[in-house]
Amino acid sequence: MIDSLLAPGKIATAGMTAQSKRLLIISENIANSQSVGATPGANPYARKTISFKSEIDRATGTALVKVADYGIDRSPFRVEKDPGNPAADKNGFVKMPNVNLMVEMADMREANRAYQANLQVFRQARELVSMTIDLMRT
Amino acid sequence: MIDAISKTARLPELQMQPASAPPTTKANTVGGFDSVMKSVATETVNSIHKSEMTAIAGINGKASVQQVVEQVMAAERTLQTTIAVRDKVIAAYQEISRMAI
Repeated sequence: MIDSLLAPGKIATAGMTAQSKRLLIISENIANSQSVGATPGANPYARKTISFKSEIDRATGTALVKVADYGIDRSPFRVEKDPGNPAADKNGFVKMPNVNLMVEMADMREANRAYQANLQVFRQARELVSMTIDLMRT
Repeated sequence: MIDAISKTARLPELQMQPASAPPTTKANTVGGFDSVMKSVATETVNSIHKSEMTAIAGINGKASVQQVVEQVMAAERTLQTTIAVRDKVIAAYQEISRMAI
């Protein structure tokens, strides 16, 4: 059984790691929001998704958060009329990625807040441990 | 009084069992001060060593920032505990040596 004030550090670290992976996926989606296919009529970049799951850490017996799965958003692609584009089909339409910047921004804000919450837990646990150890001084 | 202090000094010994620490001798049950300090110091050195390894792995890009911070904080915590316990035990011994005879 691990010290209940030391475990939050490990759990919060797992939370921060998971949220940073989420931020990675969001940054990929935003960076590739204009990435079209290489050949005429080819599919463009498909939006990536990420999901989390709870996992019991055997060493400490606490529930850590882990990345459950990376997925692909199956929603239909936007179609734009752009005959000069190398990816345009014979009618001049180009399939654009199904990335909605508004959705990505909202997701990023959420990841940011969740990361900050984990950071605060870490900071709080550290402060409490430090204060308790300080009892031995003086 | 001496018995109480020795008990306090033996407490960390029960909880921390570093891999490379020498096994505590059962015969020496009264004055275990040096062996306690030895095991505590070994534990601290192990912890700091681990955090250094993680920090180097982080610089090489093999460990995440979060892992590096976690290990460094763990080392800091161990060091703080060790120093506090050491100061406390030494203060107790000094108090005894100052006793008027």
